[in-house]
Amino acid sequence: MTVPLAAGQPPELLPPAAIALKSSEFRRGREASWRDLEGLIARAEKRGIATLSAAELERLPLLYRAALSSLSVARSIALDRNLLLYLESLAFRAFLVVYGPRIGFLEGAADFLRRGFPAAVRAARWHLLLALLATLAGLAAGYMLVDADESWFSAVIPAELAGGRGPASTRQQLLDTEIFQPWPGPAQSFALMANFLFSHNTLVGLIAFALGFAAGVPTLLLLIYQGLSLGAFLALHAHRGLTVEVLGWLSIHGVSELTAVMLCGAAGLVLADKVLFPGRYSRLESLALYGRQAAQIAIGAMILFFVAGILEGGFRQLVASTPWRFAIGGATGAFWLAYFLSGGRERRS
Amino acid sequence: MTAVQDRVAEFLEGGRRNRRDIATPEGVMLPVEIASVGERVVAFVLDLVFWFGASLIIFLLLFLMLGPLLRLSGGGGTLVLGVLLFIGFLLRNFYFIHFELVWRGATPGKRLLGLRVIDRKGGPLLPSAVVARNLTREIEMFLPLGLLMSLKDAPGAAAWESLSLGAWLLLFTALPAFNRDRMRAGDFIAGTIVIAVPRRVLLADLVDATVHYAFTERQLRAYGAFELQILEELLRRPEGEDTRRVKRDVCDRICRRIEWPSPVPDPEVTLFLRDFYTAERAWLEREQLFGKPRADKHEREKAGTAR
Repeated sequence: MTVPLAAGQPPELLPPAAIALKSSEFRRGREASWRDLEGLIARAEKRGIATLSAAELERLPLLYRAALSSLSVARSIALDRNLLLYLESLAFRAFLVVYGPRIGFLEGAADFLRRGFPAAVRAARWHLLLALLATLAGLAAGYMLVDADESWFSAVIPAELAGGRGPASTRQQLLDTEIFQPWPGPAQSFALMANFLFSHNTLVGLIAFALGFAAGVPTLLLLIYQGLSLGAFLALHAHRGLTVEVLGWLSIHGVSELTAVMLCGAAGLVLADKVLFPGRYSRLESLALYGRQAAQIAIGAMILFFVAGILEGGFRQLVASTPWRFAIGGATGAFWLAYFLSGGRERRS
Repeated sequence: MTAVQDRVAEFLEGGRRNRRDIATPEGVMLPVEIASVGERVVAFVLDLVFWFGASLIIFLLLFLMLGPLLRLSGGGGTLVLGVLLFIGFLLRNFYFIHFELVWRGATPGKRLLGLRVIDRKGGPLLPSAVVARNLTREIEMFLPLGLLMSLKDAPGAAAWESLSLGAWLLLFTALPAFNRDRMRAGDFIAGTIVIAVPRRVLLADLVDATVHYAFTERQLRAYGAFELQILEELLRRPEGEDTRRVKRDVCDRICRRIEWPSPVPDPEVTLFLRDFYTAERAWLEREQLFGKPRADKHEREKAGTAR
């Protein structure tokens, strides 16, 4: 639509006339403080916030709030695009500096071990119980299957993990090549075996955690399968009268390893729970809220896997006595239990 | 207001960036630009290169120090490979988590591209969120990569198995392509988004305190905020043959529309446009203060304000 306009403007230049804009006056009054803030942020971005002096650190939040209020005012009175974009970008960069994380890797790790990890595990106790039940169900099924018919063993445990064990193994073979196999030396056991076991287990744990995202079904299946192979393994040895020996052989590292697997499973189940039953939040919000807790459990479980890898690869064959194996397994179990129950609780006076 | 800015950006840059508002704890809405998938991939590849370079240097140092020891113990090739993989795993996770904590949400790759990780709600970026989004990376990126790389050694059936598992996992990897905020699984879990942080420079105010041309209110009524901001961009363009031609063209169009009685001589074009900009902005800002904002030239007069 065109507006009908009246002609009749003077064709020649008028003498210069003054014109005052509220937005220009506003800008003149505030510009110095914006420039000040911009300088501080540029330095904090380039060399870290630690390079700012105490006086500058004190000024930073004040300048940041001033920039925010300038932005609000500018939005209502100014039509200068460059000014608006500049203020938005300035306020946002300042926001990142003012509200960014303030701790380094080591501080974060220490706080995580002291407080975050055990607290997250305690908060997920029901999920942990469900993970335990799934594993136990698998274990019972595996035991019963192989107890009834040993040919199930090779169906449950893939050949590369069975390591030559199977229905054909005799009692003596199992004793010599597995339970009391001679110690292969430090390089083989600590570096190679521990590392292989750690990588393998960590991967299993991470999968159990991350697939919780897919409503938890893969997580539960994975837990049941872990129990299943363990049950099959136990039944095979029980048939050859090796129940106590194999339990000792497993317990030295299995206490840590199974705990870690179930922690990862529990973390995955937390995700699944929050996706399926978001409560009064939206699914996305709920996932974001509890995802961090679940991730804390998963990363803590990595530490348990590491301990288990060292125990399994390095010490299991070195400690060639069943009572000692039970003792070490029991001690680690007691330690983890005490840690999860007491770690990071507020001291009551 | 923001709608006008969006339209101007679309007009000038020929496309709309994916934008989203976050609320700061002070309650001010700040628009942020979501980083595109392309930028994310480039940043990730850069990070991979840095990580690989750092690992290589550390491996070389380790090899120089521990070489004789390894030969003594007779561990052989697999031992070395295993240790290398383990150190690589630790370094990779340390690298991402460390930099996202210390550089407030930017790894070196992201920093080079001007990307940042922020909390989706505008709250502070918590260390646990950084850990969560980076742990998930193992499954989204490195697990499928490792599976695909192991394909060539695997026998038939196992190859199919890892291929199907890999394909299923690649669905996770491709997640950012399927949502508006370009979030990967780690971002969902941690409640974060990755954004592009453009740096803007505050340029001089175009408004002149003294004007040589005067315009009537009826003439100023011909345009709105959208046209004003396009004119602003034109006036801010560097001088040149091209700019001069566009200015001449715009000047003629304005004169025709507002029925300016006499043609503006060539040397006066910039002065005329600048004065028109000043007068138009003064008038539009005043109208906006009075609660009568005018978005563009097509906006009809509201019933109450028509005279």
